[in-house]
Amino acid sequence: MSSRRNRVSEEEINELISKLQSLLPETRRRGAGRASAAKLLKETCSYIRSLNREVDDLSDRLSALMATLDSNSAEAEIIRSLLPS
Amino acid sequence: MAVPNAVGESVLAGGGERKRKRGSEPPLAKWRTEGEQRIYSSRLIEALRRVCQSSDSAPSASSSDHVRSCAVREAADRVLAVSARGRTRWSRAILSGRTLKHRVRPKARRPKPVSTACVARAAAQRRKPPALEKKTRVLGRLVPGCRKLSLPSLLEEASDYITALEMQVRAMSAIAEAFSAAGSASLPPTHANPMRTL
Repeated sequence: MSSRRNRVSEEEINELISKLQSLLPETRRRGAGRASAAKLLKETCSYIRSLNREVDDLSDRLSALMATLDSNSAEAEIIRSLLPS
Repeated sequence: MAVPNAVGESVLAGGGERKRKRGSEPPLAKWRTEGEQRIYSSRLIEALRRVCQSSDSAPSASSSDHVRSCAVREAADRVLAVSARGRTRWSRAILSGRTLKHRVRPKARRPKPVSTACVARAAAQRRKPPALEKKTRVLGRLVPGCRKLSLPSLLEEASDYITALEMQVRAMSAIAEAFSAAGSASLPPTHANPMRTL
């Protein structure tokens, strides 16, 4: 890890940001040149928020489904077999 | 505990593997492997079953959908954090507390005092324009346990967190599909579901 922890240069920041850029879905698709660091940080934040929202929605869905399935162990086995395994 | 080898990663679990190279390539690829997702899914199903059972035995307390959904979310996050094998700050933060996500955050954070310590820190971060400052802080709040992290470490944690969340979404969607399929398969014949050949 960088030993100059207390003086992170713009360069290093930009390098890390461009690594992050490859993770964000939009920039992946666009394949555009480097967007500004601020823009990327903002997109990262909103991407994390939307992922969290998705997980929350999925939790709601799973919770509702679980209620209907109801701890029937036989069904749990069916579920296991339906999963790609 | 032996872990099935996903992408040629070290088989040893926990922090006992060879020295972590924190600066070099973060093992993001593992979150994208089928093996990892499979492991996560089966652990999650175990956890969900426990949630199911506990909500059955204490119907008054957790009959509310919202409570159960929160329990599901927490279980999902906990299992996700376990899958990270203690390598990342966000996962350790989840396992050690589940602090801020579900509690009311105290709104009044102490305003930045203009003290010598702060001036020194400001000097160190002088090169970072203020626009980045604010967004860095927001990002630090979004990733568990990463509020006070420096930007480079924060970006590393954020990358890992994002990739892990993506896997979580994929896994939970697959499980939800499986649950729906199982649910419709167990419908009584009167519903005349032509797809019952599941």
